[in-house]
Amino acid sequence: MSEEIELSHLVEALHPLEKQLLKFLADAPVMDDPNIVAHSGLKTTQVSTAVEWLLAKKVIAVSAEEETAMVRLTEIGKKYSSTKNPVLRMAEEILERGEVAIRELQQRNDMEAEEKSRAIGALKSSGAVSVIPGGRFKISDESKLSPFRDLQNVIDLLNEKEGLAPLSDFSNSDQAIIETYHRKRSPSKGIFRVDLEVKRSYEKTALFRPVYEKVASEKVVTTLSELTPEILKDGSWKGKAFRKYNIQLPPPRMGGGALHPYKAFLDQVKTKFISMGFSEMRGPLVESEFWDMDALFMPQFHPAREIHDVYFVKNKPHDNSIPKAMIDRVAAAHENGGESGSRGWRYPFDSDRTRRLILRSQGTSVSARVLGEGPANPGKYFSIARCFRYDQVDATHAPDFFQVEGIVLGEDIHFRTLLGLLTLFAKEVAKADKIKFLPAYFPFTEPSVEMHVRHPQLGWMELGGAGLFRPEVTGPLGVDVPVIAWGLGLDRMAMIALGISDIRDLFSADLGLIREKQCIRRAER
Amino acid sequence: MPTIEVTLSDFESLLKEKLDQGKLEDFLEKVKGEVKDFMPETDSTKIELNDTNRPDLWSPEGIARQVRPAEKPWLETYPFFEQKLKPAAQVHISNAVSAVRPYLAACISRNMSVTEPILEQLIQVQEKLADSFGRNRQMVSIGLYRLKKINFPVYYDLVDPERTAFVPLGFETSMTLREIIEKHPKGIAYANTLAGADQFPILKDAGEVEAGDAELFVEVTGTDLRMVTLAINIFAANLADRGADIEAVELHYAQETDFGTVFQTPYDLSEPVTLTLSELNRVLGETVTVDEAVNSLKSYGLDIDTEGEKMTVRAAPYRDDLMHPIDVVEDFAISRGYDSFDPVLPSTFTVGALSEIEQFSDALRHVMTSLGFEEVVSNILGSSEDFIEKMALNPEDKTRPETRIVEIENPMTERFSLLRSWILPSLLRVEGTSSKAFYPHRIFEAGEVARLAPETPDQTETTIQLGALIAHPAANFSELHALLDALFSRLKGAYQLDPATHPSFIPGRFGHIVVDGREVGLIGEIQPAVLDFWQIGMPTAAFELMVEKL
Repeated sequence: MSEEIELSHLVEALHPLEKQLLKFLADAPVMDDPNIVAHSGLKTTQVSTAVEWLLAKKVIAVSAEEETAMVRLTEIGKKYSSTKNPVLRMAEEILERGEVAIRELQQRNDMEAEEKSRAIGALKSSGAVSVIPGGRFKISDESKLSPFRDLQNVIDLLNEKEGLAPLSDFSNSDQAIIETYHRKRSPSKGIFRVDLEVKRSYEKTALFRPVYEKVASEKVVTTLSELTPEILKDGSWKGKAFRKYNIQLPPPRMGGGALHPYKAFLDQVKTKFISMGFSEMRGPLVESEFWDMDALFMPQFHPAREIHDVYFVKNKPHDNSIPKAMIDRVAAAHENGGESGSRGWRYPFDSDRTRRLILRSQGTSVSARVLGEGPANPGKYFSIARCFRYDQVDATHAPDFFQVEGIVLGEDIHFRTLLGLLTLFAKEVAKADKIKFLPAYFPFTEPSVEMHVRHPQLGWMELGGAGLFRPEVTGPLGVDVPVIAWGLGLDRMAMIALGISDIRDLFSADLGLIREKQCIRRAER
Repeated sequence: MPTIEVTLSDFESLLKEKLDQGKLEDFLEKVKGEVKDFMPETDSTKIELNDTNRPDLWSPEGIARQVRPAEKPWLETYPFFEQKLKPAAQVHISNAVSAVRPYLAACISRNMSVTEPILEQLIQVQEKLADSFGRNRQMVSIGLYRLKKINFPVYYDLVDPERTAFVPLGFETSMTLREIIEKHPKGIAYANTLAGADQFPILKDAGEVEAGDAELFVEVTGTDLRMVTLAINIFAANLADRGADIEAVELHYAQETDFGTVFQTPYDLSEPVTLTLSELNRVLGETVTVDEAVNSLKSYGLDIDTEGEKMTVRAAPYRDDLMHPIDVVEDFAISRGYDSFDPVLPSTFTVGALSEIEQFSDALRHVMTSLGFEEVVSNILGSSEDFIEKMALNPEDKTRPETRIVEIENPMTERFSLLRSWILPSLLRVEGTSSKAFYPHRIFEAGEVARLAPETPDQTETTIQLGALIAHPAANFSELHALLDALFSRLKGAYQLDPATHPSFIPGRFGHIVVDGREVGLIGEIQPAVLDFWQIGMPTAAFELMVEKL
């Protein structure tokens, strides 16, 4: 941008207050705060605003700073400047009437009770009045009133200076008076207040002259500062310009509405599964051992079912909603295989323990419920289920976490369609370009498979596990078609997508961190 | 899942071929194992075995046995499984042990010199079988003894722990059995198998194995005859793989068992599983022939008799995992290799959909963001400090839904010992952590909560709730009410606020949100004491809605 254009931009954005200040400063002999306040014709608050703006635009600069004791009138002081101070007011009444009853003075309604008693006390101790019989005051020595007259002079002097002046403007004797009557940290008392104020002096920068000349040569056009409904209605905007804003000033900050980045990631996963024809399933956070493990053919003596693996609910409540016939069929599958063609685990099944409540330890429990409730055939289901494990919480273990898993059932389900679906997941969900299937072990599936994929950013990673539900699982739940069970571990992908390395940050309570991660991503094309 | 430590050189001698990491990993895929730590410089490798149903694979001998293509039927390799010769050694199992630890199985190993590394491996197998398979010795424990110190027959019987005394390994003085299980490290480990018993089962006449011994007596005791027998079978096969001659031991049970009163171990407990070719092909989606199936399964170490399409399969006695024909199908697939199967997609069509409640909840989330709220996601587990004390709730007051808290019987730490019963504590936790994030704060979470519901068959309920909170220097009821009103106008729903009281909120600035006479939520200004508890320095107002009830 050329200097000339830059200059006109700067001038166009000047606020009327700034222009007024500029014009004053052009000829001002002394450029410091008190002088500007006293002579620019601007109010104190306007001065400080306009000065700050011109400083920001580098039209003026601070040349010196000095601390000055400033005297100002308090609310009481301002009152006394118009009505005179209470002692003087009483004394003048006494002078006018010769003598006045103290009771009368006490009944005056132009001052507070406290002011009256203090004024009467001050009159007495000043020696200016004497008490005559009948409880009346008369002036006995008018010269003793002079301290109160001097006080009033100081008040009036300060009032002429708009209630604010440097302490040094006053004579030594006046300063002593101010010292006597200034407020000492008590908000209601005192006539004067003395504050240390920084007095800044300014100098003109190289920019001042050109800016001033441009402003001075401007035609006088009234600019509008705001567009209001009234101006629109009466049309008074016509022929007038609007004051230009400095649109480069930083705006006030706001958060604005936003979805949580991890939830948004899971939303994308949900959408992906729906697009592949999957329906969502839901299940409770608190689950019975039946749905969480027994229905999945995990024997009750399985090592992953102990108190150091699963959270049990306090006071051992039991789920009474599981159909007894279903418990019996599952019990038979465990004990001797029942009708599943299996020899079973060969141990006595505990039908009471099976109803005990635990915190859901695996999302597969949701699948078990859906199988037991009679799923659609063919059917494809998924769930994103919060699960709980007895793990030490650290950078790789959150106190609770989401598992993405589901089932696929139908007549045409077999090992090769299982591999086909997993290949689809690998491409659709993980954008994998390579995939590898390994034998795996899960108590509820056979054959079981572990899927490793090559992710474009992460390299080879384990994406999930899957298998065909064992007949000991499907049979007792009343399902007579083959069923694929699958589960995906997506947290690592989520963490990479969000740029975090501690899994606990997926559930961060730090709004600052969450805001950092609220960016919108567009799929690479 | 057990992790074992092996030396590569030991592995190579068992496999009779040279190994590198890649080759090792290829082998391990076939046994569902993975390398956890490969340290060739110390000749040591850690391997995790994932199949909890195949304890025979938890040793280098077992892995080598499985991945080496079987050249002859297992009975030829391990002839001791045949109950042919009358064993010389006998063990008598008394009637009395049946109340404490009823079963024992044993074998004798000869002509294999126990070197220091072999002893380490034997001890590792002994421990993995006892810990992972035998549930910390509760169901199975294994003892190894020097054969020459034992005089047969041996008697397995109960003794009085106070009166029986001997000098235990590594100690100088004689101790009673009671003292041993309280003081001796091995005794302490064994003690949990004896909880409550006032008499202990022991084998009289024993002495622990040392390096240099060539003749061993191995016994397994436990509470389940099949598990005890499987353990001795695995141990015997492992010793045989290292060149030992295994001799069976004859057991005399005072009580009837599933295998009779007199039988010898190792004992073939395998049971045939019958699979038809069409079943195999249906499960795999393949067109395999009988010959292909038989060859693959045989090379995987299984015995097969065929009768037309019908295959009768027997696993070696060190395996006891063929529960169903489907298990044979997986063995075939592993033997042939998973990568030999062509993936195909199912041909049937299904329609995908979200659950109705999740759709609604998602719609609410979008309305909330449109009103300027930022979403948070919180953990569901928390502490009673967060969910009760910091909320100023009276836990005894069960009239409020949020005090019907599901507690964990066995928490790992107090910090995570309860399930949240409403969303607000999660939001206050965010507020208490986020004073450095610029204001105003408008945050929300739509998520699951759980509560006790003793009146229902399920005993608990899981619901979705929407909690929202505003915090900034001028945050107040009126601003939040306007936002709630905007939310309801999007729902096209009428609602009213019924003044009420709640310990977490300022009295006179709290109410229930009511729709059609039903309470669906609450709204109010959080009371300063609660803000203090959470160290929140801004005025805060919040509402919470039960999504299912809207």
